[in-house]
Amino acid sequence: MAKEIIMPKFGFTQEESEILEWLKQEGDSVEKGDPIAVVSTDKISMEVEAPENGILGGIRYKAGDVVPVTNIIAFVLQPGEQAPQAGAPPAAVKVAKVAEAEAPKAGKTVEQVEQAAGVSVSPVAQRLAADKQVDLNLVQGSGRDGQITRKDVEDYLAAQIAGGKLKATPAARRVAQEKQIDLRTLRGSGPGGRIQAADVAAARPAAQAGQATLSGLRILKEIPLIGMRRTIAQNMQRSMQEAPHMFLEVDVEMDAAEGLRRLANENKVAGTPKISVTAVIVKAVAQALKQNPIVNSQFSSEKLILYSDINVGVATALDNGLIVPVIHNADTKDLVQISREVNDLAQRARENKLQPDDLSNGTFTISNLGMFGIDRFTAIINPPQSAILAVGKMNRVFVPDEHDQPVLRNVIAFSLSADHRVMDGSQAAKFLTDLKNNLLNLGEIVK
Amino acid sequence: MAGSSKNEKLIGGILPESKAKDMLYKMVLTRTFEENAEEMYALGKVHGTMHLSIGQEAIAAGASPALKKSDYLLNTHRGHGHFLMWGGDLNRMMAEFMGKEAGYCRGRGGSMHIADVESNNLGAQGIVAGNLPISVGVGLSIRARKTDQVVLTLFGDGAANEGAFHESLNMAAIWSLPVIYLCENNQYAMSMAFEKAFRIEQVSERAAAYGMTGLTIDGNDVFAVYKAVMEAAERARKGSGPTLIEAITYRYRGHSKSDRQLYRTREEVKEWMEKDPILRFAKAIEVKDAELKEIQARAKEDIRKAVEFAENSPEPDVSTILEGIYA
Amino acid sequence: MREITYMEALREAMRQAMQKDERVFVIGEDIGVYGGAFGVTAGLIDEFGPQRIIDTPISEAGIAGACIGAAVTGMRPIGEIQFSDFVVISMEQLVMQGAKMRFMFGGKADVPFVMRLAGGSGTGAAAQHSESLENWFVHVPGLRVVMPATPYDAKGLLLAAIEDNNPIMFFEHKLLYKSKGPVPEEMYTIPLGQSHVVREGKDLTVVATSIMVSRAVQAAEQLAKEGIDLEIIDPRTLKPLDERPIVESVIKTGKALIVHEAVKTGGFGGELAAVIMESEAFAYLDAPVRRLAGLDMPIPYNRNLEYHAVPQVENIVEEARKMVKGQY
Repeated sequence: MAKEIIMPKFGFTQEESEILEWLKQEGDSVEKGDPIAVVSTDKISMEVEAPENGILGGIRYKAGDVVPVTNIIAFVLQPGEQAPQAGAPPAAVKVAKVAEAEAPKAGKTVEQVEQAAGVSVSPVAQRLAADKQVDLNLVQGSGRDGQITRKDVEDYLAAQIAGGKLKATPAARRVAQEKQIDLRTLRGSGPGGRIQAADVAAARPAAQAGQATLSGLRILKEIPLIGMRRTIAQNMQRSMQEAPHMFLEVDVEMDAAEGLRRLANENKVAGTPKISVTAVIVKAVAQALKQNPIVNSQFSSEKLILYSDINVGVATALDNGLIVPVIHNADTKDLVQISREVNDLAQRARENKLQPDDLSNGTFTISNLGMFGIDRFTAIINPPQSAILAVGKMNRVFVPDEHDQPVLRNVIAFSLSADHRVMDGSQAAKFLTDLKNNLLNLGEIVK
Repeated sequence: MAGSSKNEKLIGGILPESKAKDMLYKMVLTRTFEENAEEMYALGKVHGTMHLSIGQEAIAAGASPALKKSDYLLNTHRGHGHFLMWGGDLNRMMAEFMGKEAGYCRGRGGSMHIADVESNNLGAQGIVAGNLPISVGVGLSIRARKTDQVVLTLFGDGAANEGAFHESLNMAAIWSLPVIYLCENNQYAMSMAFEKAFRIEQVSERAAAYGMTGLTIDGNDVFAVYKAVMEAAERARKGSGPTLIEAITYRYRGHSKSDRQLYRTREEVKEWMEKDPILRFAKAIEVKDAELKEIQARAKEDIRKAVEFAENSPEPDVSTILEGIYA
Repeated sequence: MREITYMEALREAMRQAMQKDERVFVIGEDIGVYGGAFGVTAGLIDEFGPQRIIDTPISEAGIAGACIGAAVTGMRPIGEIQFSDFVVISMEQLVMQGAKMRFMFGGKADVPFVMRLAGGSGTGAAAQHSESLENWFVHVPGLRVVMPATPYDAKGLLLAAIEDNNPIMFFEHKLLYKSKGPVPEEMYTIPLGQSHVVREGKDLTVVATSIMVSRAVQAAEQLAKEGIDLEIIDPRTLKPLDERPIVESVIKTGKALIVHEAVKTGGFGGELAAVIMESEAFAYLDAPVRRLAGLDMPIPYNRNLEYHAVPQVENIVEEARKMVKGQY
């Protein structure tokens, strides 16, 4: 019997995985437990194992394909067996039918669209569908409980193009093809939103994906946009497009905190990890989040969700990208524990051994470029969070003391990027000043 | 006239003996051809349909020999006999019926459109009375070129009720065109019996309506046909205009291959077959049974050879499908 | 160059052809001393006599048959159908005999005749005397179909048609008979199957036939004042159609408007739209190809209704403007 190999679901909210690499090829012998493919979800990579002994066959996807979880990706065959044919397309479209009543017309408000469809639609998908005049009844949802995600709407649009149903004149299509412009991204000026040649001619290729290369330049290297790079690109673009960022800065004298930290490390119990600056910052941030719940939140089109769990992510640079392992419930942990976790996560990150749960459910992110010599910077909010803290390097700076005399202090510049849909300047400011106070008075928040 | 030597015996006072033998042979050839065509059709060798003139051979036999080689022929759909009489080559005829490239019309016309414009045979006709207006044009052409040609225009009793009949005969009459309108009245237009389609007794009565000469003759009498056509040709050549000749005959077989002949009785058919024109003519020119049989055998052999020729002849190449539409 | 009327141009073509070639003659109703219902053959009988300018009884089938029979036996007749509507009576002869003889006889016969027909509306002649039936004959293999729009075209195309060895349906328009234009005195031919770019432009390709050509030109002059630049093409021969200039024009402008008097449904415009769509021009179309044609109705008697039943200059202006402004 041909044994199906399905794309596994590694994380609780995982919708899909990208196949990074096939370790075995069609026709290879495999034994149960052999890794046969490497797949990635968001940013970590996992191995798919052969479920039993046999021959690998009927491979349905290639490296670079993004596959919904639980789809069949290949089979383990017994000698002489044929792989079953690909059956009906994965998960027949089943957007909950509008109960007999009229299908929601494109152009209805987003709320009406969601109600009429009867399935939940992610906010991003709703906006995209309204933008592109997509009838959500026609879109297959692949998210949790059949939720329609942004990708689903994008897939639908792509299928429409493939079916030739995008409204564009032959001339427009020709020019779009010549200029390598994606018709999906254009607004049509013709009747009924039809894309005319002029619309394509006016489109700036630079804004489009897959633009024509600059001509006449020698290429050093081409890096395919897959895996982590692609995820980061999509997330960061989305973040900047959707969240109106405001930026606030505060410089903090770290001498008191540093003094406490050094003291604690000198007197630490053997076998326990040293307390790191990062741990100090995490703890102070966690406390500030507790004091300012509005910052520990998530935006959605009809409500702001404020979380009581305070899960602080610490952005960690890798060779090929960026990863944000999370210290869950950081407000409840002491500095030693936080230090331990930070170290462990950092190490496992470098060794590519992070689990999906290490990365999940962060409510706030800290990004530190101090080790790269950066004095101060602003970071991009990590969706779906509402804010991110950018930490610069500790610099020796002259500041005026209480007598207005210059004294040397250790100062770190902190910059908060905050989502203005969620909070206003004063709220963000309070968070930052609370953070500053927490650091200046570290002894009071750690016992 | 009619190409005979001065001192040759004239049978019936009009028909040169040398011609007579040839006419008999061609009548038999026609009969044999038609019967063979029937057989081939039954064997599925002929595509489409055929209109057989079995029983009407005397008209064809009497008409063409009364004319000159330079005269024109406008034939009907039931015109195999006329085609042969006009000098048609048996092999090429057969090839055309089988749709072959070597046929008179390169296989594009078939039985209903077979023509040989080179010999002034302007073709058989698929539309009843379709050739009648054309006769006017041919007549005008002769007049313009000032030749002494005439155009023998054949049609059946059915055509006499088409509108085109009226327009054409009228025009031929007013301009005194050199046309011989020869109506082969075999008494049925498909299934429509003459007495049901006409209030008058004879088609030739209509000649008077146009002011032209009209007459009715025994179509199964070769001599009668020969004489009438010859006289009509003379009349035409001297500029006295058209003639309407009605030749009474009988069609042994159905209208076409798909005719079940429910409109007449077997007895009626049998009655006419006893008055067979070939036997009658053979007797009139004193050809004995034995000689007739020999003629029949010769005809059969010629037909067999023609069939062989046609069967071995190649089909038209599909790549030439669009040829011959435009000049 | 001297200017003469469309009618005079046709007459001159026939006269010169008959002077040159004895085989040419004209046959039709009332074409002798009467000079033809519209006067086209006036005077010809005096020059050529009744044997070459042949008056017939009212017998359209006979006229057609006469042309066919004479043509297949060496003559080069010109037939006249007094009102193009009456061609229906000669359909059997034209379609079953004249068009097909050559083919049925294996390509071994030539049937060189020209059938001239006076068509079109605008004279209050009502439903049975105002037809535009040219597309019926476009649909019959074996026939050629020609529609002159100007006096220059009329003479050149008729002379070419007389020389051509195929049976040709030559559709004249009643309202054009008195239109004037420059016409060379000598014999000349305009090749059949050759389109004519009447006016160059860049915003819209207008393909027009017969009387619609001059209406399109007038529309173009009006629209030029609005900065709209029409390109006008007259196919002149509907079959065989010279599509190349039309295709190239549509590639240039991206938009095509077809204008003809004949009823829209089943009219030549549909054929032409399909030709454009099937050509290279498809990839350059920036709007649907549109047709401006006669309403799907018999021509009414009332003058105003008759006027509105077929495209007029203002209709062309409006439609062209809408197309250029991207309303379709």
